[in-house]
Amino acid sequence: MKDLIKKLVETPGPSGYEEQIRALIRSEVAPFADEIQVDAMGSLIVRKGCKTGAGKRIMIAGHMDEIGVMVTHIDDNGFLRFTSIGGVFPHTCIGSRVLFMNGVKGVIYTETITDYKSMPSLDKLYIDVGASSREKCPVSVGDSAVFDRPFLDMGDRIASKALDDRIAAAIMIESLKQVKDTPNELFFVFTVQEEVGLRGATTAAYHVDPEIGIAVDVCDSGDTPKGEKVAVSLGKGPTVKIFDPYIVSDKRLIEWMIETAEKHSIPYQREVLIEGGTDAAAIQLTRAGVPAICMSIATRYIHTPSEMVDMHDVENAVKLLTALLSSTTEL
Amino acid sequence: MNDVNEFLKEMVSAPGLSGYESPVRKIIETRWRPLVDELQVSKVGSLEGLKKGSGSKPRKSILLAGHMDAIGLMATRVVNGFIYFTQVGGVDPRVLPGQPVHVHGKELLEAVVIQPPDFLIPGHTAGAPVPMEHLVIDTGLSADKVAELVRPGDIISFAQPPFELSGDTLAGHTLDDRAAVAAITICLQELQTRIHKWDVWAVATVQEETAYLGAYTSGFGLEPDLTIAIDVTHAKGPGTSESDIATLGKGLVLGWGPNIHPKWYEAFQKAADEMDMRYQKDVMPGHSGTDGYALQIVSTSRPNMVISIPLRYMHTPVELVSMKDIRRVGRLMAEVISKLDEDYLDKLDWEGNND
Repeated sequence: MKDLIKKLVETPGPSGYEEQIRALIRSEVAPFADEIQVDAMGSLIVRKGCKTGAGKRIMIAGHMDEIGVMVTHIDDNGFLRFTSIGGVFPHTCIGSRVLFMNGVKGVIYTETITDYKSMPSLDKLYIDVGASSREKCPVSVGDSAVFDRPFLDMGDRIASKALDDRIAAAIMIESLKQVKDTPNELFFVFTVQEEVGLRGATTAAYHVDPEIGIAVDVCDSGDTPKGEKVAVSLGKGPTVKIFDPYIVSDKRLIEWMIETAEKHSIPYQREVLIEGGTDAAAIQLTRAGVPAICMSIATRYIHTPSEMVDMHDVENAVKLLTALLSSTTEL
Repeated sequence: MNDVNEFLKEMVSAPGLSGYESPVRKIIETRWRPLVDELQVSKVGSLEGLKKGSGSKPRKSILLAGHMDAIGLMATRVVNGFIYFTQVGGVDPRVLPGQPVHVHGKELLEAVVIQPPDFLIPGHTAGAPVPMEHLVIDTGLSADKVAELVRPGDIISFAQPPFELSGDTLAGHTLDDRAAVAAITICLQELQTRIHKWDVWAVATVQEETAYLGAYTSGFGLEPDLTIAIDVTHAKGPGTSESDIATLGKGLVLGWGPNIHPKWYEAFQKAADEMDMRYQKDVMPGHSGTDGYALQIVSTSRPNMVISIPLRYMHTPVELVSMKDIRRVGRLMAEVISKLDEDYLDKLDWEGNND
């Protein structure tokens, strides 16, 4: 599964520019899908199975976009100023490298630091692509880039940029392969533009019109030195999201997920996230309302070029998602 | 009509945090059942009551939305028998220390919110309000027992009982927005003895405090032709700004701004004038911060109105409302609804007159 994750995280796809990652995911899911569509915004909608008996139409959403940067200005000497696509923080930028969609690479640095105690804001930073002038600059205003950092295999744990949310893509692809008999009509949706406001999930959910929504995403981990004070750790299982500031998960689905995990002896954690939201929030608001929930992977250093997850959590997430999708629940 | 006081007190004595509204929904269901022709629960838990109109089919419908969910707290961690928590909806941590709460763990637990002494809080200025992340809940139980009974994600509701104050006022938690549900109930009662051509959907919405969920989804699912969001607004009191114009007990508040259709607004103004009813005008220049926002922008949109009940000390366990204002909102809505002609929408002209 690490080979798949490596391919997924090393393929660039900032919000709005998901062509390359969509093509990769499409090639991975094609042998296992009953039907594949791409909607007008670019979300990849993969159907498997038909509704039988008490089965439900279920949308599983994981976003394929990632955070990145976009060029706003190029000066006479070829230095690029940029804005963020999604939540990019200055302290993770300085010294980082970026990869443009046309293959050009650059490094980020800052104007002279006069006060080492305060963090420069994004507008003080610039990208140097090695060009000596504006004319020789190989990228243009409006070009976008993602952070460039190779996949790191640490054994039980892995680190990379874009594990938010390619780890979900990996879990969903594996689960799509493993679901054999299901009473449900399943829509695995690889959404676009989550990082800029849950946009792909909003329109894809309207199109799919599901009866149940399950987002797969990352959540903060509370097990780092003096870090976030949340009761979630790496390696203790996928989470059952109960709350974040964007969604109060559907109580019936919380019970379904917990009962399923316990029935199959899959470890799980109860997640209460203080900051951030996921595609589940967008699905819930769709049409006349869709009961929705999220399963998360505890992740350290979210929105940095070195996000870290535990492979046991990933494997257990595949098991839990597969078990859920092979069963059904009353609403 | 005084039994509405009892109904409102019963509602605000029940929990029903955003996403966990079923205790209060049951109370409202019982109350609405004899007042409506049909009663249903939406896919996400809003209570939708239909009182059919007398007009010819296909009948137009009006949707009245008041949210039944409550703000509250949720356990995030249990450490040495103490419960750390976050907020569900907007809770001001300054009012929490000393509050009685109910922890909805494996058992219902009585508890209190406490703040540690200043010197125990890292980097804290003595005397400053204590941030929510440092407040804890004490159930009185041993650490082992708490760990067994309470888990992250358990909800915690305010336990402050409602109490009537002088001057026909009521104090308690969650009067935002169960006061509006009471007003909708008064409207339904009034409509029992009136002829109204339009269908009326009375909706107690869910998860307004977190996502306007009930308004978005019932606004889509019920396909109404006109909507009214009923909510509370800051009444003048200590610490309110000059732009908070509403005065408690001095009449309901008619919202005015981009969330509100100007001609639909006029129907309320006119009816209030004809009834010789006091009202105040509230300028809502942006997002009204109510279900009205969702009702206006969902699906194909329709004319929306926002009516507010003046309330002091919003989002505290001692919100304060005047019962008079609540009754006025109910009566005014009934008056406007019973005056709706079958062709009201055809006459609802942006440019011209509406009569």
